[in-house]
Amino acid sequence: MPKIITDQNLRLLIDTLVGEGKRVIGPKAAGTLTLYEPLASAEELSLGELPRRSAKETFFPLCENILTYEKSSSGTTVHDIDPARFPETVLIGARPCDVAAAPVLDAIFSWDFKDEFFLERRRKTTIIGLACTTADDACFCTAVGLSPADTRGSDLFLTPLAGGSYRCDVISDKGEALLAAHAGLFAETDTAEPVSLAEPQLGPLDLDRIKAWLDTHFEDPLWEEIAARCAGCGACAFLCPACHCFDISDEGSEKQGARRKHWDACGFGKFTYHASGHNPREVQPHRYRNRIMHKFKYYHDKFGQRLCTGCGRCIRACPVGIDIAQIIDDINRK
Amino acid sequence: MTNTAHTIDTALYDAVTDALRAEAKKVLESGTAAAVIGWQAGRRRGSAVPAIVTDPADAEKLIFSPSCVNNLALYLTKAKKEVREKGKLAVVAKGCDMKALAGLMGENQLKRDDVYIIGVACAGVYGPAIRGNAPLDDGTLARKCRECAAELPEGADVSLGTVPRRPAFTPHEAAELARLEAMTPAERWAFWKEHFSRCIRCYACRQVCPFCYCEQCLCDRNRPQAVETTPRPAGNMAWHMVRAMHLAGRCAGCAECERACPMDIPLNLLNRKMAKELKELYGHEAGFQAKEKGPLAEYREDDNQSFIK
Ligand code: SF4
Ligand code: SF4
Ligand code: SF4
Ligand code: SF4
Ligand code: SF4
Repeated sequence: MPKIITDQNLRLLIDTLVGEGKRVIGPKAAGTLTLYEPLASAEELSLGELPRRSAKETFFPLCENILTYEKSSSGTTVHDIDPARFPETVLIGARPCDVAAAPVLDAIFSWDFKDEFFLERRRKTTIIGLACTTADDACFCTAVGLSPADTRGSDLFLTPLAGGSYRCDVISDKGEALLAAHAGLFAETDTAEPVSLAEPQLGPLDLDRIKAWLDTHFEDPLWEEIAARCAGCGACAFLCPACHCFDISDEGSEKQGARRKHWDACGFGKFTYHASGHNPREVQPHRYRNRIMHKFKYYHDKFGQRLCTGCGRCIRACPVGIDIAQIIDDINRK
Repeated sequence: MTNTAHTIDTALYDAVTDALRAEAKKVLESGTAAAVIGWQAGRRRGSAVPAIVTDPADAEKLIFSPSCVNNLALYLTKAKKEVREKGKLAVVAKGCDMKALAGLMGENQLKRDDVYIIGVACAGVYGPAIRGNAPLDDGTLARKCRECAAELPEGADVSLGTVPRRPAFTPHEAAELARLEAMTPAERWAFWKEHFSRCIRCYACRQVCPFCYCEQCLCDRNRPQAVETTPRPAGNMAWHMVRAMHLAGRCAGCAECERACPMDIPLNLLNRKMAKELKELYGHEAGFQAKEKGPLAEYREDDNQSFIK
């Protein structure tokens, strides 16, 4: 039986969690844009706009130290980062297209190498998803098998109701535990009237058919047609909830410094640049092909999932108007 | 606020579109160029995206509208070798884009004879995130266009359209620059520090800039590392200083860097500050003429040295 929580109680929940010392992450206004950021109090929660960057940073920060070192007269000391010290976190008000990317990322970060930095943050995070009531013409979750009310990856899921309250569905044990710990803030309901949800324009695409085409078209004039105009920046990958490539850099002086893990992107010309001087993806069409292949073929071959949740961020951000929804729609029609 | 007194008449764009299609068809059919780089409609309502047209039949796809924001000079640089390999290129240029082409010629990146320039009269383009058929007015016009005096490119092989009279817009960029200059150095430092703290080092600003054609960017070097590559305060500040200094006197003012920035960092404000300094110190300004050398690429005995303290 779903529960109901009023907007006031939702805010009380945030303040309570912050009071308990938890890291609460939610959409927050940051100048001209909205970002998922730690909330100091419920007042900072800003649910109107889609955050510019995705929620993946909750588990996979833009940049983090993986070790630090310092040198003194007695020698060099290396300090490991202890994932056990990562804080308990509640991600609140995350869009379904952001949340659905979490299980996608789980697969890659727990594959041959267990990335404790990612996995420990993931273990310690409870996700409260929120259904979308607006969509623009870049949104296409419906084309990739999701929807503005998809609960995939959420622990609790909120659906806005007429009158300003939310229906709250329990999706996982983690969600159940969070709800149980704050049961007083929720009420029983069976008559909740949801507000109308968003309706992205692009209907379901045949993803198997798209994959079948990709299986046999590594070489195709399409790549040149679309991608010759790609500027080769990292905007699409950096804003994407499912992109997960990173680089590791050592920075500092001979006295002290850090080894850092930070986002990387297949659009960059140096992404596959070998030490030998050879670059197997010499031109932008080869790099963009990798982006599409990775999202709709390679990742599916390996993990049975797609690396795109249809959030449309790459479409909105691309400075040269490359539109991934258009591309997969075109392939679907081939 | 929509103010009818400040609405631009957009009939110009339809006339230019017709002329552009005819011109592109002619250019491709006659073999004047192997490809025409212009804009075509995107999937999203009212959007326009860069187009590389090689078949005369596809000339019909080309458009010119207030959504045609991209500076297509980007595709003539050596950073886009897959485009250059198509043969002689024709490119559509607004006034601000023409300055970038002139700059590239001055820097020997482009020979005048190797490119066919189709200049288009421009009354302004939309600011970020505005698409569709919104009127072009105070609220929707890109900031750079409010103060533009380059509505008709000079030096093109052909110029399409005549500029209608534009209403006088209150300048935004000049006002912002004045606000920046009124700050104390400490305030200014804080202002930029705050903005650069949002930078995620996606390099969209670099990748859309026609002048960022270096095959080896200092900021990508890791052996040895010159500038920290991670998106943290030190590296971000260094990256933006390198960018500002390197573009000083070269920047065409197309504001593509600012438009491309997903973090809404006001990069063109910095560009314009640098341009102003260069003008005051060396009397140098980016324009329609290809100049052999920019002030930061040559030394003269009588150079202004007042900034060396
Ligand atoms: S590929 Fe684009 S639309 Fe798909 S999840 Fe990533 S940013 Fe969103
Ligand atoms: S597709 Fe667009 S956002 Fe992505 S690398 Fe190319 S130009 Fe940048
Ligand atoms: S700056 Fe001038 S030429 Fe450039 S887009 Fe704006 S109005 Fe057109
Ligand atoms: S620095 Fe920015 S405004 Fe100047 S030419 Fe490059 S992209 Fe255009
Ligand atoms: S586009 Fe913006 S966020 Fe990206 S590197 Fe440039 S300034 Fe930083």
